[in-house]
Amino acid sequence: MKAENKRTGGLPRPDYALANKIETLPEELYAYLLVVPAFLMVGVVALWPLLETFSMSLHADTLTGITVGEFVGIENYVAVLTGQRAVVLPSSLWYAVGLTVAFTAVSVSLETIVGLAQALILDQEFRGRAWVRMAIILPWAVPVVVQGMMFYLLFEPSVGFLVAPLQELGLFSSTPLANTQDSLILITLSDAWKTSAFMALIILAGLQSIDRSLYDVSRVAGATAWQRFKFITFPLVLPAVLVGMLFRTLGALKVYGLIEVLSGCQTVPSMSCLVVSAFRSNRYGTGATLAFFTALIISLFILVYLVKFVDSLRDIGGDS
Amino acid sequence: MTTAQNTEIESEGGPFTRWVRNAIDNPGKVHRAMFYVALVFFLFTTLFPIYWLVVLALTPNNLIVDMGVVPHGFNLSVFAELWELVPLHLYMFNSFVIATVTTVYVLLVSSLSGYAFGRLEFRGKGGLLLLLLIISFFPPAAFLLPLFKLFTGNVVVFGLHSPNLFNSMGAIIIPFSGLFLPLSVFILTTFYSQIPDGLEDAARVEGTTRFGALFRVIMPLSAPGLSTAGILTFIAVYNEFFFSFLLSTGDPENGAPLVWGILAFQGQYASMYNYMAAASLIGILPIALLVVVAQEKIVSGLTAGAIKE
Repeated sequence: MKAENKRTGGLPRPDYALANKIETLPEELYAYLLVVPAFLMVGVVALWPLLETFSMSLHADTLTGITVGEFVGIENYVAVLTGQRAVVLPSSLWYAVGLTVAFTAVSVSLETIVGLAQALILDQEFRGRAWVRMAIILPWAVPVVVQGMMFYLLFEPSVGFLVAPLQELGLFSSTPLANTQDSLILITLSDAWKTSAFMALIILAGLQSIDRSLYDVSRVAGATAWQRFKFITFPLVLPAVLVGMLFRTLGALKVYGLIEVLSGCQTVPSMSCLVVSAFRSNRYGTGATLAFFTALIISLFILVYLVKFVDSLRDIGGDS
Repeated sequence: MTTAQNTEIESEGGPFTRWVRNAIDNPGKVHRAMFYVALVFFLFTTLFPIYWLVVLALTPNNLIVDMGVVPHGFNLSVFAELWELVPLHLYMFNSFVIATVTTVYVLLVSSLSGYAFGRLEFRGKGGLLLLLLIISFFPPAAFLLPLFKLFTGNVVVFGLHSPNLFNSMGAIIIPFSGLFLPLSVFILTTFYSQIPDGLEDAARVEGTTRFGALFRVIMPLSAPGLSTAGILTFIAVYNEFFFSFLLSTGDPENGAPLVWGILAFQGQYASMYNYMAAASLIGILPIALLVVVAQEKIVSGLTAGAIKE
């Protein structure tokens, strides 16, 4: 402190001194200085909460206010994993895990296929393309709460015209929004409606960076449309598809808002739903245990991506 | 021989046979037809739920029975009356403030770290980027309990209680500023790394400070990247559900966002479907306009930047 004062003492204004100091900082220190605000923010809202969640998960529930009780070690984990806590939650943990993973698998596959088809359409030249692109991207910009409301209004039996015919066909029950299986189908459809647009956007960006002259060459060589897709478009757009799928997989594993608006956590208990209901009933130990377990399951999926990421780091010149 | 015979038979066939033959002769036409069928199909599935909201909003509530695909009536007054039932404008204003503050903050902070990651060499760069990436993938549920504790003043550091931000926009803005940061950092890292070194060196030789070079050279040259990152952050925040719902009590005077405004209709006026539909339409409108204006930018920005990660 004292040394600093002495050095800057000769300067008229302290901010000049600071500016001077920044100018003369070695590049590496300057870089660290620049990343400090970002990591401070991430530390407060993500890293600390994650550690705190883990620590809370090792303590007992108190049911009174925002506190946890005495240290109980892994007792919460044992209770949650063996289904002993299921009575105070919408469902057992394993049921929620199965339900969430099934939802993720089906909705991400659907979104990928639809998004790829939409992107291939938007990549063509035709009149009114800008308008079509706008319409197809639009669902991506719809807030989750409105997305839920839309499908609620489409499938609420007293409003929508779709429930009665679907019921006659034997596909749905008379109250699809109160039935787990029907609601799960509707939530999957609703999710696909909104996020196919996201997939289309990501894949379209990939398609548009493909070198067009490849197609000219293949035409000269006499390739059919299918061959052009199979040997040029698909391999070159695959990285974009995979990135999109990963984003969507991790997004789908967090599903909560759509369920809350459309049919409620009692009907479709996803992993996030369990955390929220434990939080709502002041079971902070149990809630933290569920939250940390959810984070662990999602990290398994992140791990898959990690390998790919470390490879791509070399391209931007980072060390790994 | 046989081919010639077939052609002869077919030329005498009906319009369908002629169409099929035409299609076989000219596969390009079939592709074109398939293309338009798919196009119309996707336009229909995409726009129908939105059209359905229009149908319900225009139909007076007592006529919402046995609905078909056309409105029963043309009642525009819901759009004027719904503000009296629920102050939707206050909720939307809150959402705008939250999204704007978060976006400005995120762009500023991610510009600094995007510059460091994209243009400077330092130890631990890969590790730090990886950390950011992992953070952005964690479920919000994993952060909820401690953040709630923090914002209700129940975290004590060195004898000091955390400020009670619950029931204010701060409790929503702070988590968003951290959790939506990584995406912007990745986009800006890519954009900033593509600016030729010469331009920055020239500015530095002229006597520009380090920050001057960042704010007056690098950032203006990366305007497409900044606008992509800004638009994506704004839309993500405006559309967010989890923290908007759980870190607020739903009082518009205390900063409750759009989520609560829309849900207020589902809760208090559960059978007033026309109001629910009208409120939903109004809720979409600002972001829909943003997409209309900025879609070109979003696609080109993603093409140039984010996708390469």
